[in-house]
Amino acid sequence: MKKLPLEGVRIADLTMMWAGPYATRLLAEMGAEVIKIESPNAWDNIRTLVPQPEATEPWNSSFYFNDYNRDKKSLTLDLAQERGRDVFLDLVKHCDIVIENYRADVLQKLNIDYPVLREAKDNIILVSMAGFGKTGKERTQVGFGPIIEQMAGLASLAGYGDDGEPYKTGISYGDPVGGVAAAGAVSLALINRRRTGEGCHIDLAQRETMAAMIGEAFVAASLRGEAPTHYGNRHPRFAPQGAYRCAGDDQWIVVSVRNDHEWRQLASVIGANEELASLGFDERQARHDELDATIEAWTIEQDAQPAMERLQDAGVPAGRVLDTVAIHDDPHLTARGYWVRLPHPKMTPWRQPASSWRMVEANPHLRRHAPLFGEHNEEILCGLLGLRSDDLRQLESQGIIADAPINPTVG
Amino acid sequence: MTDNILEGVRVLEIGGGVPAAYATRWMAGFGAEVVRIEGPGDALTADEATCLLPGKLRINADDSQLRELAMRADILVEDTKPGTLAAHGLDIASLRAANPALVAVSITPFGQDGPAAAYEATNAVAFAMGGIMSLTGHPSRAPLINAGSQAYYLSGLNGFSAAVTAYYGALQQGEGDHIDISMQECQAGMLELYGPMAEYTGEGPHKRSGNHVRAVWGIYPCADGYAGVCCLERQVKAFFNLVGDPVLQEERFQDRAQRAEHDDELQAILYPWFLSHTKGELLELGAQHRVPIGAVLTPSDLLQNESLHERHFFDSAETAAGTAEFPGRPFLGLPWRPGPLDEAGASTGDVLSRWVEVSA
Repeated sequence: MKKLPLEGVRIADLTMMWAGPYATRLLAEMGAEVIKIESPNAWDNIRTLVPQPEATEPWNSSFYFNDYNRDKKSLTLDLAQERGRDVFLDLVKHCDIVIENYRADVLQKLNIDYPVLREAKDNIILVSMAGFGKTGKERTQVGFGPIIEQMAGLASLAGYGDDGEPYKTGISYGDPVGGVAAAGAVSLALINRRRTGEGCHIDLAQRETMAAMIGEAFVAASLRGEAPTHYGNRHPRFAPQGAYRCAGDDQWIVVSVRNDHEWRQLASVIGANEELASLGFDERQARHDELDATIEAWTIEQDAQPAMERLQDAGVPAGRVLDTVAIHDDPHLTARGYWVRLPHPKMTPWRQPASSWRMVEANPHLRRHAPLFGEHNEEILCGLLGLRSDDLRQLESQGIIADAPINPTVG
Repeated sequence: MTDNILEGVRVLEIGGGVPAAYATRWMAGFGAEVVRIEGPGDALTADEATCLLPGKLRINADDSQLRELAMRADILVEDTKPGTLAAHGLDIASLRAANPALVAVSITPFGQDGPAAAYEATNAVAFAMGGIMSLTGHPSRAPLINAGSQAYYLSGLNGFSAAVTAYYGALQQGEGDHIDISMQECQAGMLELYGPMAEYTGEGPHKRSGNHVRAVWGIYPCADGYAGVCCLERQVKAFFNLVGDPVLQEERFQDRAQRAEHDDELQAILYPWFLSHTKGELLELGAQHRVPIGAVLTPSDLLQNESLHERHFFDSAETAAGTAEFPGRPFLGLPWRPGPLDEAGASTGDVLSRWVEVSA
């Protein structure tokens, strides 16, 4: 059986919320051993962000937490206590990577910043992913995903165009984007260590990796002073392009026509007259409102799925706007085995996404649900660090480790 | 001698679109020799080419030359339609068999197999099928495409990170892999809480909520543009203290459950508060009071941003229209090499002679 690329790599994961945990989920999928470290009184708030009243241990029963923390191990450790910090530094000796997404000044306050980590292990790799980076005037700004999207220029570029209002993406888009970039940074740092024998400190600002996703808008601004244009769902080079309402409740299809041929095909499927069907690009752009009305007069009578299939059969780029239910039932994703049910000791299994990094040969697969709080304390502290059960009891009595949060209502 | 970490790593970029070009952009910056086979002339706009092609060698190659190059590559990144490469004698499975250390990354809208694999798609179509679009835009209007070409860029970003991860595996184990990246899947696995919520609770699809998930999590007009706030429960108190209206101390706003029922009333209080401040004031207040506040900045704003300049974020390149500036190194801590913009086809002879001859 072929090995996954990160087998044998061990990661001390101090990240919380979404950006960091998304990075370490990817790394876990690629075979790394990820040890998620939370303090009994400062733990990953995602565990209870969507409270589930029926759950006896809500911190162990969150679908949100589970989706982004599967295939990891859980170690509780209060880093603010000296003994907890010592245990952590002992763990670092056994790790290749430390990754964190605290605000820029927190690692230093805990006295576990890069120089300290290097004393514990000289070739350690530290990946920091604060919203605005470790340096610069804005380093102490709090950076959640939507804030990152605003501060990176993206929100300024999206909007319907008729009201001047900029629009945020419907998810905290900055988080997973920072996470994917951080996962790549980890692998680059491993390549670097393999070549040079040395570790490094990656200072990743989520705002910067986000801004890199709209590079051409910076080119336009720097060369021509271009201000953002809100195209709505239209496109400067494709016409018509839009989201069109289909039959049913809030069902939509996107159609995106790149050339005259595709337009003719679309016109034929929707039964547009010959005058419309023969329009060239400039005319289609000029009469976009009229074409939208003609297209929607057809789509409104159609179910989204067959409408998409019919247009695609005719060679027209068309896609259903899959909502959060429809995407779980999408025949294509289903055929690709994308949704997977994992057993969970506290929850009824639900369909979770497989890895989006499909290694065709090594074939990464979801192995295990997100860890229960402190589930691997003994395995790591005794098995890896050689502590005895007496030590564990002592750590427990000092509140340095725990199998349940000390303050479970804080979210 | 240089310590660029991908020095000597040979990367072949085929297909020419944003996904492949973005995936290899950072490889070039970290020192790899990235050879771009020119795709169709309209695969990139001039502005996209300016920010995605610096530091790459641009060549033209026929099918047999391409196969020779692929045999000598460490990483191949392509964004052609499934089946296209095979039709040109570049079937990935046979390339992998002949060059076992090769990391090959295919980036497509829907992946290499399945009923939609052959679908025609643009960024908009791929974005629609990824789930994020259903959550974006005003609830009373059509779902909205977000900035630029995010389905393309996101797949390119995943392609980059997956490729260097697999390349590390190839260095360790001697064997590469073929990575099948689907734009749809890159999005479908990051639907925040909304994806798993719909699936787990069975309460139907999550509705898009425009710029306000809640009053304390949204974007508002302010004195000179737009600004936003994103409070977790633990930050609400500090935010209300900052806004200062005494009515916010009342039970219906302090209590989390009651607050949700008075969200419109709360928004009505926050609109004038935001309108009475500029973006600059709001950012400063947010930092002072530890409240997550942001401002909707434009690329022009960011080109002037002090923090970004202090961190030497931007690269520049000379173009026929002048000096362009755009995002450079994605993070600090490893050496970055800003590269010049090559003309289309300019490096054909050089690359063919070095790559093919050296290994012959």
